Formats: sequence, structure tokens, C-alpha cells
Amino acid sequence: MNRRVTMLGLVAALALVVGVRSVAAHHSTTMFDHSKTVTLTGTVVELHWVNPHVSILVHGTVKDGDTPSDWLLEMTSPGNLVRAGGWSRTAVKPGDKVVIEMSPLRDPDKQGGALKKLTMVDSGLVLTANIRAQEQPGLE
Amino acid sequence: MRHSMAALSLAFLAVAVVSVDAAEPGKKQTVINPPPTAQDWANLAKLPDWSGVWNPKITDQDAQIKTNPPPWTAKAAAQIDHMFAEEKAGRPPPVFVECLPEAMPSWMLITHNAMEFLFTPGRVTILGESDGNRLRRIYTDGRAHPDDPDPTFHGHSIGHWEGDTLVVDTVGIRPQAYIAVSEAAGVPNNGDMHIIERIHLATPDILHDDLEIIAPKVLTQPWKTTRIFFRQRARKFDIVEGVCLEGSFAEKTDPDGNAIFVPIPHQVGGNLYAPDAKR
Repeated sequence: MNRRVTMLGLVAALALVVGVRSVAAHHSTTMFDHSKTVTLTGTVVELHWVNPHVSILVHGTVKDGDTPSDWLLEMTSPGNLVRAGGWSRTAVKPGDKVVIEMSPLRDPDKQGGALKKLTMVDSGLVLTANIRAQEQPGLE
Repeated sequence: MRHSMAALSLAFLAVAVVSVDAAEPGKKQTVINPPPTAQDWANLAKLPDWSGVWNPKITDQDAQIKTNPPPWTAKAAAQIDHMFAEEKAGRPPPVFVECLPEAMPSWMLITHNAMEFLFTPGRVTILGESDGNRLRRIYTDGRAHPDDPDPTFHGHSIGHWEGDTLVVDTVGIRPQAYIAVSEAAGVPNNGDMHIIERIHLATPDILHDDLEIIAPKVLTQPWKTTRIFFRQRARKFDIVEGVCLEGSFAEKTDPDGNAIFVPIPHQVGGNLYAPDAKR
């Protein structure tokens, strides 16, 4: 029984890893409800630092008392994130404790969102992902 | 000054054409691109300074959806209206799928990514960060378009300088290339598209691309729009590799210990597979 549960867990984990890496091309973000902000508190499972869109898998909760579970946060490209400031492929590591503000997916059956702001609990470092904040020349 | 450069380029082209082997009547003439001279390289210094990295004014792209929409045909407009409705309902239609290039003119119209310009004798090259192979070659050596160019994502572009403005004429674009007003709304140009651009500095660090898009299959008249780009010189803005397809692969290790990419299933529209809700 235990072995079966473990195997199921492995299959689920593999499906998840395959799923979260499944990014293709450029797309609108209206599948996210930008009128809402949901705060997720948890631990980083993995940072997927790839084009065209970076994503982070976080194990955590959005409400006190919830059982922690996995959430997927989507962002812009690695290049755009570096310019947003503070981001790099090693800026966020598995095991890091984070508080994330996101626009949640409209689909109530899925746990995901567009990342607005990430705060590292230990260091207080704040990372954002808004490329529309870069609309002036000569930024530093 | 620019005109004299264009004349110089034409002169070189003439030399190139004359230099073909005329000894064999009926043989198709081979056009040789002449090697650039020291003067050709020196002349580049007279061009305006477009160095640095240019990132788009996305809020203006967004605003023009309402303030300056393309003059769509009724058929195209109906498709666009449906796409807007779907997007508003939280079901954004996939337009740029499977990491195919945004292509012309959508690269200029709706990109969220940076670009840079390279000036070399007889050519202006625009390099973009995304899609893995986002590149426009604009020939400024006086050549004409081919009679029947192979359709490509970015078309065949020839350009010339009028003062400090680069005038670019592009044809030979794939009919599948979208005219998009957002990442979720656009229609394929369906063929016979012709794009004229006037690219120039509006202020020392703001670049305008004044586009005129002639697409008789989907537009009732030429559509004029300006797209705005900001110059960045901070090194963190340097263009980096942006291979769009890498997101379609997982990093694995094969039995020989090699680091390899393994294709993985992915959604055509680029949506991530978020975990199922735990309830």
C-alpha cells in the first residue's frame, strides 16, 4: 500500500514537473484575474528559469489552516526579469521561504497565478515582475 | 549626406553587376556583393546613433487597441471581436503558438521584448531577444526586391536613409504572419502584404517606428500606426539569448551521463499546467 502511494506520488510529481515546464510562445494573461490579489505563503520547490516564461513552483497555503499544496506562478522571460531588478537564475532557490502576491487563475480547479511580487522571508528581499514599469529611457 | 551614401551604394552595385562574366550569353548573371571598403565602414559613422537596447512602450500598444485600431475588413473585424470577447472572458485565444516567430509586422506592433540595431555596410540588422531566431535583415545597398521572393516570417526588406530616418520597404511575408493588436487578438495577413516603415529618433533616447501596413486581404485601407521604443544603456538591459523552445523541453541526463533535452507535452497556446486545486 505504502509503495503504491509512493509510486502514485512519484507519477504525480513527474506529471507536475512536466506540466510546469510546458510553456510555449507568447500569450495574453487574461486567464489570470488581475482584479484580485491572492497571497501565498510557502516554500520554493523549483525555479524554472527558461524562455519564454519563467515560473516558480511553491508549496504553501493561501489561507490559515489550509493543508499546504503546490502552486505555480508564471512570470515574464529571464531577460525581462533580470531588467526588473534582483532576479537571476539563482535568486530564488528550492527551500527558500517566500510570500507571494499573485493574480490567481480564473479556473477554480487549478492552483496557479501570475506573480506580482515575491518577498523572501529570511532576507526581506522583494522581487517584482512588471515590465510595464520600464517605460522610460536611461533606466539603471 | 545619406543620399550620397545611397548613390555610393548604387555605384558599387553597378560595379558588381558589370563584373559578371559576360562571356557566356544566356548564362544567368551572378550578382556579387562587393567587399566593403574602408570608406564604407567610415560612412557608417555618419548615420544616427541607434546603439543601445530598445524596449517597447507596451502601454501605448495597449492603448492603440482602442485609439487606433486597424481598418479591418468586416470578416476580419468579426474574428477580432470574437477574440476580444474570449480574452475578456478569461479565455485568451492562442495567437503566437509553438514558439513560431511573431513575425512582421507583429514583432514591431506587439512585442514585449527588447531589440537592437546593427549597422554594417549595405545593411541594417535588427535583432530581437525572443523566439530564438528573431532577426530582420534590411538591405541598404540599393538592391531591389526579388521578383518572386520566397515568403518568410519577416519578409524581404530594403531600406534607404532620408536624412536620419531609415525608410524600410518589406514584401514577401508569409500569409500566415499575423497582424496582431495584442498577444490574444490578430488575424493572418493572408497574403500580398506590403509594409513601409519610417524609423527615426523622436527624441535623443526615444525611437519611433512609423508603420504603414497594406494588407488588402484583411484591411480595407492602409493602416498607419507608430510604435515607440525606449533606449537603455545600463548593462543589465543587454540582449540575452531567448530561445523560446527551451520551455518545451525538460533537462534530463541520458544513460551515458550526457546532459540532454527531452521533449515534453505542452499546450499550443503557451498556457502553463498549474497543479489541480486541492479540495
